[in-house]
Amino acid sequence: MAVPGIGDAVSRTEDQRFLTGRGNYVDDITLEGQVYALVLRSPEAHARIVSIDVSEALALSGVLLIVTGEDWQREGFGHIPTKSAVRTNRDGSPIAEPPRHCLAMDRVRFVGEPVALVVAETAEVAASALALIEVDYESLPAVVDPVAALADGAPQLWDDIPNNLCADFELGDAAATDAAFAEADHVIAIDIANNRVTAVPIEPRGAIARYDADSDSFELYNATQNVHANRDTFAEQVLGIDKRKLRQIAPDVGGGFGVKNGVYPEPALILYAARQLRRPVKWINTRSESFLADTHGREQISKVELALRADGTFLALRTTTTGNIGAFCWTVGPFTPTGGSARTQGGPYAIGAMHYQAKAVFTNTQPLDPYRGAGRPEASFQIERVIELAARELGFDPVELRRKNLIPRAALPLRTPMGLEVDCGDFPQVFERTLAMSDRGGFAERVAASRARGRLRGFAIAPYLECTGGAPNEYAGITFTADGLIELAVGSQSTGMGHETSMPQILAARLGVPLEDIRYVQGDTDATPIGGGHGGSRNLEVGGNAVAQAADEVIDKGKAIAAHLFGTPLDRVSFEDGRFLVPQTNHVLTMPEVAVASLDPGRLPEDLQPGCLNTGSTFARSAIVVPNGCHAAEVEVDPQTGIIEIVGYWVVDDFGTIVNPLLCDGQVMGGIAQGIGQALLEHAVYDADSGQLLTATLLDYALPRAGDIPDMAIEYYEGAPTEKNPLGVKGAGEAGCCGAPPAVVNAVLDAIKESGVTNIDMPLKPEKVWRAIEDARRAG
Amino acid sequence: MQDFSYQRPAALTAAIEAFEQAEDGRFLAGGQTLLPVMKHRLATPSDLIDLAGISDLEGISIAGSALSIGAMTTHARVASAAEVHDAIPALAKLAGCIGDPHVRNRGTLGGSIANNDPAADYPAAVAGLNATVYTDRRRIAGDDFFTGFFETALEEGELITRVEFPVAAAACYQKFDDPASGYAVVGVFVSRGSQGVRVAVTGATPCVFRMRDLEAALNRKFTPETVSGFCVPEEECNDDLHATAAYRSHLVGVMATRAVAAITDGEM
Ligand SMILES: Cc1cc2nc3c(=O)[nH]c(=O)nc-3n(C[C@H](O)[C@H](O)[C@H](O)COP(=O)(O)OP(=O)(O)OC[C@H]3O[C@@H](n4cnc5c(N)ncnc54)[C@H](O)[C@@H]3O)c2cc1C
Repeated sequence: MAVPGIGDAVSRTEDQRFLTGRGNYVDDITLEGQVYALVLRSPEAHARIVSIDVSEALALSGVLLIVTGEDWQREGFGHIPTKSAVRTNRDGSPIAEPPRHCLAMDRVRFVGEPVALVVAETAEVAASALALIEVDYESLPAVVDPVAALADGAPQLWDDIPNNLCADFELGDAAATDAAFAEADHVIAIDIANNRVTAVPIEPRGAIARYDADSDSFELYNATQNVHANRDTFAEQVLGIDKRKLRQIAPDVGGGFGVKNGVYPEPALILYAARQLRRPVKWINTRSESFLADTHGREQISKVELALRADGTFLALRTTTTGNIGAFCWTVGPFTPTGGSARTQGGPYAIGAMHYQAKAVFTNTQPLDPYRGAGRPEASFQIERVIELAARELGFDPVELRRKNLIPRAALPLRTPMGLEVDCGDFPQVFERTLAMSDRGGFAERVAASRARGRLRGFAIAPYLECTGGAPNEYAGITFTADGLIELAVGSQSTGMGHETSMPQILAARLGVPLEDIRYVQGDTDATPIGGGHGGSRNLEVGGNAVAQAADEVIDKGKAIAAHLFGTPLDRVSFEDGRFLVPQTNHVLTMPEVAVASLDPGRLPEDLQPGCLNTGSTFARSAIVVPNGCHAAEVEVDPQTGIIEIVGYWVVDDFGTIVNPLLCDGQVMGGIAQGIGQALLEHAVYDADSGQLLTATLLDYALPRAGDIPDMAIEYYEGAPTEKNPLGVKGAGEAGCCGAPPAVVNAVLDAIKESGVTNIDMPLKPEKVWRAIEDARRAG
Repeated sequence: MQDFSYQRPAALTAAIEAFEQAEDGRFLAGGQTLLPVMKHRLATPSDLIDLAGISDLEGISIAGSALSIGAMTTHARVASAAEVHDAIPALAKLAGCIGDPHVRNRGTLGGSIANNDPAADYPAAVAGLNATVYTDRRRIAGDDFFTGFFETALEEGELITRVEFPVAAAACYQKFDDPASGYAVVGVFVSRGSQGVRVAVTGATPCVFRMRDLEAALNRKFTPETVSGFCVPEEECNDDLHATAAYRSHLVGVMATRAVAAITDGEM
């Protein structure tokens, strides 16, 4: 049983369980006496609820409970608040936050909005009951497009929110930006849309609630990625119960990508139902419901303007964007298109002045919330698309234009005009390495070979810069058990990323013990006093550093025990390779030996109690970190059909210290797969008139398959570990989504450049590519 | 899914009898279409009569100059069978590009053509190879089998037993598949045999059809260039989220040209 080190490619210990069907997901859990809940969802995008008649449904044998908005209101339950970090408009007024109740009250505002909860002895009976509930809707005009929603005369979602405007945000120096634009030799402007997508985690959302009448307390098993924060909201803000009486457990969770981070109504509804019925209540969404009622991501309509000097030097960037946030402020919905996209504007380029302006807008669609990257992929797409167009229009080589404007290493640390503290990195080196991997020398030959087969070949490079986010503090608890196991409990949480491997790996490396000695605990409000869950690529940064910090505290305490056992002064004890020792003596104790001693009162100094080695430690982030890197893609386009094939993909990432390259590769590949999905395939489409979701099944919503994802060459630049945290890590989870869309889209536009086409909005479905080429040809 | 009773007869006659006695019976083949529809409660049969127990309905054989494939033969079996690869490789290729491995392991020839989804692949082969559909009561020429949007010549309770595909000298199926579903946005099956050229198009319009004018032209001159003068008018094409009518109309030309080119190049 070897002791792993930081940087070892340890394979995932949890995969044995996952790959042999032994994972323990919510739907695998059956509680004694459990009954089944289903949600009646609005079929209307916008309508007044005239009446709801549940009598026939209630009369069905096996139906136990039906809850409507009226019942919810009668109970006096609170609404679910937004936690958006952006709270004020640029004029200082508060952003608009309409109440989001767990069930629609008198009006529905998107297809899929919960209208009633049905609980029955079986799921089949519940399904039959759903069909018997009669809701009389009076349809209202709907609007699904955020730009249309802003216009005067558009359907209004909320009587007291004019023009459906939730937030009017700006960041940066407008005057300095205007001045730079006025002086510039060239101004390049592009209108782009960032498509609405949805995450489609393989496990749909679901939960089981249990109520114990004797202790008046609840247990909630929930497929969530944020047990603590959501527990607090359910208890304190919605149900009005003591949060200590609600334990929330996330068992194995099958994918999150941000979609399972927010506070959803269904768990609150079944907690209530469990208390009413005194029986455990299970609810599991169908895939169709996932499409309708999981939060969606992205959807920004933007104008991006770049001011340049004649020699190609970037002077200023101005981005004006409209973000769709759906019918409500979801958990942090208004933040994504505003603050979320603002911070990393301009990417890794030296740009003297920047101004970012964003409107977050309500529409009759499922609300949007963070999805892998939450605003940063949009920002990356904005800068890279305008640069590509600038190169084209002004006759620069796109590689040269980027190279010329990258922030040089010597300029770091710096604070960008958007206020982001970029402490370290080497953007030019990362760029050159990516370029070298991509074999530019052989490109002309490959282009010719493609052409001979009737295909067009293109290339693009896309450096990116992003930043971490999510809850700033994280807790790690280390408990030594009598049977020699070390229990490690961390408040961050895996939804498949491999924390069960990477976090114990840090502890094992620090303490010098084998991985097998560590039992990992996560996703349980009882296991850690605080927990920030999963989001913003935060786990390794805050969770990993919490583990390292707690481990160092264990070592310090262990030294005191060792000193006592050695009979030497504390300052003579050192800790090396998992052993406490006094140099130049034969005093040596291993970590497990000290751990055993720590449980034995007879072997401890007087001031220490058994169990004294157990440690809980909270790591507090001082400043968010700045992952960066560079993607490059080569594609082949069939101009007759518009079909795109990605034929080469290269990445160099700077994530600081790489704790486990295998897991890191997985994050990069997964992020790129989702980025490619967004670039080429995925689009959540609502009908403009009816507000119906047209892509509500996997037959209509195109997810990338393995065959759509190319082989990729992935390398890491480890020359600039951050000093913002002890491990020197920068966060890897969302980076792939930042680099892939611009790399792929720009490569396609490069391939078809002879047609004169300069923009196609994502996803680049073959028809769009073919049509763009055709239209350009016809236009001559 | 609503309750239903389930039967698995071992003989064809028992299946027919079960159907006749059922209040609202349905034959179940691979279930790839029927079961999802039932899960959504869009079909609520009283009885499911599973055909999987009837061994006569499964299998592949050469009957003279034709390939006979049982109605219950899965797509996966057709895709991998040596008999099919030897006799009509284009048919094996077609079966191999239906949906995904799960679908191919369950879905059947009989279920596919009975369903006659406008975006299904097999109808193109049945029409494109001049196949004959055998049922429990008669034989139906491939040209007469597909009658409209999800409609066939099958009568109430009529059961497909097998399909006979004449072996063509050369054939090729070119498919532009939808990235989400795997179904054909447009599929063109071209065959060239002793009785001439056939061009069958699926996906483009509400029901599979033959491009008879193009067939005539190809009978005169079998070259990819010949295709360029012929098209399926946009007005006749399906227009939906996956592809506009204009694009489908365009794709028919591209796929037909590629199919003819592949045959002339001898690569099928
Ligand atoms: C995800 C997915 C992707 C797919 N992709 C494709 C694709 O790319 N191309 C394609 O062509 N198809 C595709 N299909 C369809 C699939 O290949 C099957 O052919 C189709 O679902 C019907 O076959 P089945 O055996 O499953 O029939 P079932 O679903 O069992 O039955 C379908 C209908 O046919 C009737 N029926 C079945 N057998 C007989 C018989 N012998 N005689 C009379 N009536 C009968 C049934 O009563 C029922 O009404 C896809 C399906 C899925 C789920």
